[in-house]
Amino acid sequence: MKFVHTSLNGDEALSFEQWQAARDHATGQVALQIANDFDVEQLAGDLSRFSRIELVFPKWVDGRAYSQARLLRARLRFGGELRAVGEVLVDMLPLLARTGFSAVQLRAGESEAAARQALDFFPGHYQGDTGEHRPWFARAAA
Amino acid sequence: MYAYTPFDRQFVHSRAAQFRNQLERNLAGTLSDDEFRPLRLQNGWYVQRHAPMLRVAVPYGELASRQLRQLARIAREHDRGFGHFTTRQNLQFNWIPLVDSADVMDLLAAVDMHGIQTSGNCIRNITSDALAGIAPDEVVDPRPYAEILRQWSTLHPEFAFLPRKFKIAITGAREDRAAIAWHDIGLQLVKDEAGAVGFRVLVGGGMGRTPVIAQEINAFVPWQQILVYIEAIVRVYNQYGRRDNMYKARIKILVKAEGQQFFDAVNTEFGRILTLDEGGREHIIPEAELARVAAHFVLPQGLVSEPARDVFADATPGYRRWLERNVHAHRLSGYRAVTLSLKRSGIAPGDATHAEMDAAADLADRFSHGELRVSHDQNLVLPWVREAELPALFEAAKANGFATPNIGLLTDMIACPGGDFCALANARSIPVAQAITERFDDLDTLWDIGDIDLHISGCINSCGHHHSGHIGILGVDKDGAEWYQVTLGGADGSTLSGAAQPGRVIGPSFAADEVPDVIEAVIQTYRSERQSGERFIDTVRRIGVEPFKGPANAQRTLTSDKQGSPA
Repeated sequence: MKFVHTSLNGDEALSFEQWQAARDHATGQVALQIANDFDVEQLAGDLSRFSRIELVFPKWVDGRAYSQARLLRARLRFGGELRAVGEVLVDMLPLLARTGFSAVQLRAGESEAAARQALDFFPGHYQGDTGEHRPWFARAAA
Repeated sequence: MYAYTPFDRQFVHSRAAQFRNQLERNLAGTLSDDEFRPLRLQNGWYVQRHAPMLRVAVPYGELASRQLRQLARIAREHDRGFGHFTTRQNLQFNWIPLVDSADVMDLLAAVDMHGIQTSGNCIRNITSDALAGIAPDEVVDPRPYAEILRQWSTLHPEFAFLPRKFKIAITGAREDRAAIAWHDIGLQLVKDEAGAVGFRVLVGGGMGRTPVIAQEINAFVPWQQILVYIEAIVRVYNQYGRRDNMYKARIKILVKAEGQQFFDAVNTEFGRILTLDEGGREHIIPEAELARVAAHFVLPQGLVSEPARDVFADATPGYRRWLERNVHAHRLSGYRAVTLSLKRSGIAPGDATHAEMDAAADLADRFSHGELRVSHDQNLVLPWVREAELPALFEAAKANGFATPNIGLLTDMIACPGGDFCALANARSIPVAQAITERFDDLDTLWDIGDIDLHISGCINSCGHHHSGHIGILGVDKDGAEWYQVTLGGADGSTLSGAAQPGRVIGPSFAADEVPDVIEAVIQTYRSERQSGERFIDTVRRIGVEPFKGPANAQRTLTSDKQGSPA
């Protein structure tokens, strides 16, 4: 998991509307930020053009972006960076890591050390996830 | 019953350690109360009127005597000596200081227990039939599937922050003893014509402000695919369920609003997981995994069927009554299931003291291979009792106050803790329950009234399932005072009650002191209107609620039956 502190100048993500306007003349890869009620399957044809997709947590208890991330990874095979932005708290890290996020921009004031520690409590999990597809029962039987 | 593997055990200890870390950060001031709240909720810690409430999961209701003794110890050493069994097969403590909470989680983990996902906007404790694995009307034992579902739903990373809480119930019998149509997902195990096992899947049931009965979304999902099918339902809900208004955030609202479109979206998503997703077929349950889990749910060691006996032979009247109400048929010859009634005069429905928990654990060891069940009706059940030992169990249960022969009768009521404990409640439940229990303390009267479901909730959150009571009592708040709305004709979906449906209101709310009179008037109306052998709910169905309104409203001494009351 990559910890990002602030967006560097020139590295701002485009909104979906900006991307639509830029789509036909943009060169190279761009970064995109989408709202958490956006249907990510609409991006299927464009994914190779994104170096990074930012998924937003307007409130940390709004869990829609976990499904977006999971779909981007497992269904659409997006291979670029998936970054969690918005109200991103320490205790979300295990969930973010397991649904396909590869980078987080913690909310101001959150401890990176505590966030790293939050990733280390469990020996494994029951259900498969975007990193380990097999549920525990399949791993235990293997 | 299921025995934890080393992995399961390590997992609950890890969860306890994670919680201790969160608690310590909260106490140190680096994790704010607002941010700690959803985290502690998902471990069962819910700050209530007096102290945090801890809700401990008893997955699908199965409890070992050693676990019940640990719960007794927690009650004794950390609470004020008692706990409350709930309709969703949980046990709640009311008085544990939050600073003790991490220690209590360690105590639970030590006996393979936890509070994981017993609160919060996540997939809650999976409930089932209290007679699972022992009922004669069972088609398929639901417990292995319930355990597989428990594991799958535990700390699911995608579904930890849903729009609202999410409850799943599962039954494998012909008779629905788990009220599945009142759940976000209701699962009924069935066999198709070829004998293959699958699930009839219901979705979108729930109580609360807007009572809704779940609808069938799929008549037969092969058991191997059930995790994938539920994943599809929960993903569609996570993406499209409302988050702008917590009163409209349950899946029932989405299902009602979208109807067939919701069903289509789920079925499409189900197909896409299986055909498109990397790892999408990994959660198809292999035969070997079902066999591994099912191997835990075999007959307890040393238990063998015996010739059936006439248990009523030479029964004294008191013993006969207990046999008729508290002793249930068993699939195994020579055995019975026995309910230990937690509904007795002077004690809140579903409550048990630490001494009673220890006593029930002792009875389980002596008569039931160390196993108990927590029932939807807030009682304890001993699942493996030899018919030959029923007389001895009766005496022992009586000595411990568990032998009130009232199972299924008026005083075997469901009630939430209400305003005495719960910060959400508008009104108290326990005094109303007690007043009714005292009013109907005559066993002959109770028996004459016969089978009836009386359910009491202290507020519209409906923890006491008032919507599904043949008689439902709902605490409401008007101008800061407690009032009670009475409904008739609700049903949980059992054979006795008929298809699940919410009850109908019989008039403006009553004052607390009027409620016992109102219930008595309703019962009197039934007794005068009933046809020979007709049960309460059938009379209500036949004549409707109108004939009950006059006698009930005539009991008002403090309120008016005009709109806009209370007076």
